[in-house]
Amino acid sequence: MDPENLSAMQIDALREVGNIGAGHAATALSQLVGTPVRIGVPDIRLLPITEVPAVFGGPENLVGAVYSRLLGDLSGGLLFIALRKDLLAIADLLRSREVGTSKSLGADEEGLVTHAASVLQSAYLAAVSRFTELSVLPSPPQFAFDMMGAILEAVTTAIGMKAETAILIMTRFETEEVAVDAALFYLPDPDSLDVVLGRLGIV
Amino acid sequence: MSIVDSIGGPWAAQDPNTILVLTGELAVAEHPKVMVTPALGSCVGVSLWDAFRQRGGLAHVMLPSPAESRVAGRIERFASVALPRLADEVAEGSTIRRLVAKIAGGSTMFGSDGGLASIGERNILEVKAQLALLRIPLVAEDTGGTHARSMELYLDTGLVVVRSYRYGIKEL
Repeated sequence: MDPENLSAMQIDALREVGNIGAGHAATALSQLVGTPVRIGVPDIRLLPITEVPAVFGGPENLVGAVYSRLLGDLSGGLLFIALRKDLLAIADLLRSREVGTSKSLGADEEGLVTHAASVLQSAYLAAVSRFTELSVLPSPPQFAFDMMGAILEAVTTAIGMKAETAILIMTRFETEEVAVDAALFYLPDPDSLDVVLGRLGIV
Repeated sequence: MSIVDSIGGPWAAQDPNTILVLTGELAVAEHPKVMVTPALGSCVGVSLWDAFRQRGGLAHVMLPSPAESRVAGRIERFASVALPRLADEVAEGSTIRRLVAKIAGGSTMFGSDGGLASIGERNILEVKAQLALLRIPLVAEDTGGTHARSMELYLDTGLVVVRSYRYGIKEL
């Protein structure tokens, strides 16, 4: 399935799954940090995988990424990406510290961010799973902080260069103190995307 | 062979002397051009350089051989295809015995996931095997690890500059 060939209705269906996934994610985050977390209406786009680095300002820009491979009835990957300041804010929120306390991205912060990202990925996956009635499992999340282009490259080669389309879910999570921007990329391989659309009943 | 001069974002404003080699591409140029390939992760950047003609080539290979992927796409993204082609195009029919190689990249970006771990290393092995077959000496390398690199090739001196977030600037 080519991203250009998706009908408006198919894109809407994928949007809806993304919306519900982001909703689950906000609930999960609220429980994690112990204060209410709201989400803005997520901006959901389908884009060719080659345009993904441009979303974060070019291949050499530094980003934090948490990657989980999908196992089970669907194959592909889930990639959480956020800029450094947002990673630090997430770590502060989870530690119930004042936002701005964390200055460096050490092992402790990495662990916290990986944990939060993994919760977001699971929440999104639960939405995909429920809509499609398929069993999809995430592999243990892996963290990296490096150049956007290299991260994407490692991920696409890992899923065998099969993913052509990325479903981008840009979300803003807001607590009373801070807003955190994060992106979740769902990189299905083309066969899996067909399966998802088939299960949604809109081939 | 394809040379892409510009892509979106801050990369759009390129110096006219800079040749940008993107993922899966290869290119050949002569002094005073400078060749750059950004953001090598598990991919390997291979530079070949001819000191006499101040001419060289750069390839950004993604996978060891076409057996790795059934998906259609740029055939130069495979080491086993890109290296003989790069050597041919740099040598241009004259002797390839003057060429020397420097390589960078082949890291493991995401820790301990079994499926991910070996691609960078297998890329390095295949690149070295291809260089041995072509009898091109490998004079310097900066490979492995868990960090991304960008690679530049200066065609007057054959200098290769490797930039990374973790280790700064390294000259090969």
